Amino acid sequence: MAPSQASYAPSLDNLIKSFNSQPLEASIESLIFLLKRRQVKGDECARATAHILRQVVAKSKWHDVDQLLSRVQSAGSRLVRAAPLEPVIGNIVRRVLGLIRDEASEDRNNADDVTSEAASDIQTLGPSAPPPLPRPVPVPIRPGPSAISAGMQVSKSMFNLLSVADPGDSPATGASTPLSQAQPASVHALRSEVMDGIEEILDEINQADDQIAGFSDIQIHPGDYVLAYQPTRSVERFLVKAASKRRFTVIIACLDSPNSGAAEPPYATLRKKLNTAGVNTINLVSNGLMAYIPRVNKVIFGAKAVYQNGGLLVDSGCCIAAQAAHEHLKPVIVLCPVYKFCPEDPSDEVSRGELGTPSSYVSYANGPGVDALEVENTVTDYIPPELVDVYLTNLGPQTRHHLASILADHYKTEDIGFSLQLGEP
Amino acid sequence: GRRPSMPIVEKDARSGIPESFSHVPMAKRIPMSQAHKDVHPAVLAVGQQMATFALKDSISRLKATLLAFRKVIESYETPKGNSLSRHFVPHVLNPQIEYLTECRPMCFAMGNAIRLLKGKVNKFDIDTAEDEAKEGLLEWIDLLINERITLAEFSIARNAAQSIKEGDTILTYGRHRLVEKTLLEAKRNGKSFDVTIIDDPYERSGQELAKALRQAGIHVLYSPNLGGLRPKVAEASNVFLGGEAIFANGSLHAASGTADVAMAAMNAGVKVIVLCETINFDRDRVSVDALTYNEIDPERNTADCFRLLFDVTHDKYITGVITEFESGGGNSPAQAI
Repeated sequence: MAPSQASYAPSLDNLIKSFNSQPLEASIESLIFLLKRRQVKGDECARATAHILRQVVAKSKWHDVDQLLSRVQSAGSRLVRAAPLEPVIGNIVRRVLGLIRDEASEDRNNADDVTSEAASDIQTLGPSAPPPLPRPVPVPIRPGPSAISAGMQVSKSMFNLLSVADPGDSPATGASTPLSQAQPASVHALRSEVMDGIEEILDEINQADDQIAGFSDIQIHPGDYVLAYQPTRSVERFLVKAASKRRFTVIIACLDSPNSGAAEPPYATLRKKLNTAGVNTINLVSNGLMAYIPRVNKVIFGAKAVYQNGGLLVDSGCCIAAQAAHEHLKPVIVLCPVYKFCPEDPSDEVSRGELGTPSSYVSYANGPGVDALEVENTVTDYIPPELVDVYLTNLGPQTRHHLASILADHYKTEDIGFSLQLGEP
Repeated sequence: GRRPSMPIVEKDARSGIPESFSHVPMAKRIPMSQAHKDVHPAVLAVGQQMATFALKDSISRLKATLLAFRKVIESYETPKGNSLSRHFVPHVLNPQIEYLTECRPMCFAMGNAIRLLKGKVNKFDIDTAEDEAKEGLLEWIDLLINERITLAEFSIARNAAQSIKEGDTILTYGRHRLVEKTLLEAKRNGKSFDVTIIDDPYERSGQELAKALRQAGIHVLYSPNLGGLRPKVAEASNVFLGGEAIFANGSLHAASGTADVAMAAMNAGVKVIVLCETINFDRDRVSVDALTYNEIDPERNTADCFRLLFDVTHDKYITGVITEFESGGGNSPAQAI
């Protein structure tokens, strides 16, 4: 991320620490505030969201699974609305929702089957808890993957949309009614299990970069000229890891404003690390990239999000790199941890690009120069799937034909449109 | 005393250039005191202006060179026992050309004009009177400037302006003299249209264009860099690009970034129209990638900070070229020279 932005905002770690000490609502509000001001952005959004949802699970009042789901949904959709161009927020919310559903169904199954080890877990976790009673009629909480049950799900959400003012207090409806009879003990157990699950998601987020870097020696060959466009933290780690095993050349390109007046050239630390490992670097300060592509073997950049169709949300300029590489048949490798895969299609807003401040390019002190001039500084690009060759995830390299299975493994169909199910606040 | 320091200066200037681009030439400032003694003062001044990029685009460089050569010819006197047609080129003209090339690699228009000038000199009969030959050369230079530069600019702008339709959105990259003339001409003809300017943040010449167009009352959308290029290009009706040169294989040699814009436009199904005088056409050289003929930005020539000035747009990304003679596909005007 742009280093100049960091100075005003509290660091993410401080923000997350503050979550523990202040009331839940205040934490959510402060995160929303920072999201709206773009002071928490990109990869940080994922961590911040996971942490805040952990707080929601830990601190908010809920007595059964449905209430927990709607607490998470409502907090999640507030965050999503605060930063509509940060799809990872929605992804993490969906992951947590899916986690809750899984834990709940496991719980219920365990409750049915008293001999299971989870029962003893529940007892150790909740010391005063009575042994859970087996429920007479187990009803599946999660509808099967068939089209009919998906249809039912839609009608359920429409019902919520029309009839429920505050979903948090709404009585449970339809298919999930039996869960509202869950016992306090299982609530307690569920809480700790869900929180453990969120910890796992956080671990996944934190480890993703290293896992992706583990694939670097497969992708980068000795003697390569690698064009790294606006290297993100993931890309930096990837390149440094590759540099420990290979001799190659990194061409770094970026779209930074030349007037930023930074004391040192961009990516100085990355370049120092690469140079000490014996990897040459060239820092391009160029708008167009077509001129350099004949020299380049592959293009690497990080994605902000990957959509269902395989399209990418990226920092602006990456599209130029991908397009130029594609035209010269050079592979385009995108680093994207699984938590950035988004089970939605890109909106028009996304393909149009987010607008940033024009003031670093055009001075408003220059009256005649900017008189009635419309200035658009686009800061995000959408890259259509046909320009991407390899999606390098923490689970290994993927092609766009297999993205659907990753999405199916990580999200539940009923959570995909979670932010729409609540309607406007 | 002045010669020995030359190689050291040269080595320093180029030592930071990354190995993989070390074949690409770069403009270089030569202190006045180190110039060859035969270099004419007018050429000396032009060389300095080229090295500092005060004279930048191919046509202004060509024009300044021709006007300086005019001075060289005016002050030329054939030594006794020689004739102009045998003596002028090797002993007078060539040192001027060498100096100019040292200051900055010659542009293709200059190469063409110099070739034509040498041909003109060689055609003189060995017995032609010196005054007559000089008069002939001066007239020829004036004609070249009038026809291939002034008239060309006028008729290209007129032709291109006619192709702009009411309500069009014209997208252009950076600032090019011909594109600017065309847009202003179309506005003078009473057409109303919008202009999108995609700029290069390292040049920012597009801001000057934006200012000029705003003063003429044209609505301008200004984008400071290539971010969001695809959606912006898709909304345009035409893309107008100016160029430095067109190679024999029809590819366009133009400011770095032009190829990216042309490609995005072609992929979005938008017409890409190149405006270029025929004096810029090079029928001898073929370039398929931008690393064959290019220049390193002398301000940014180290591994810390590196930039090429030009890129090459393949003719498949060009819908048409408008020249002063005719308009046609990428290749046909090359035959017009």
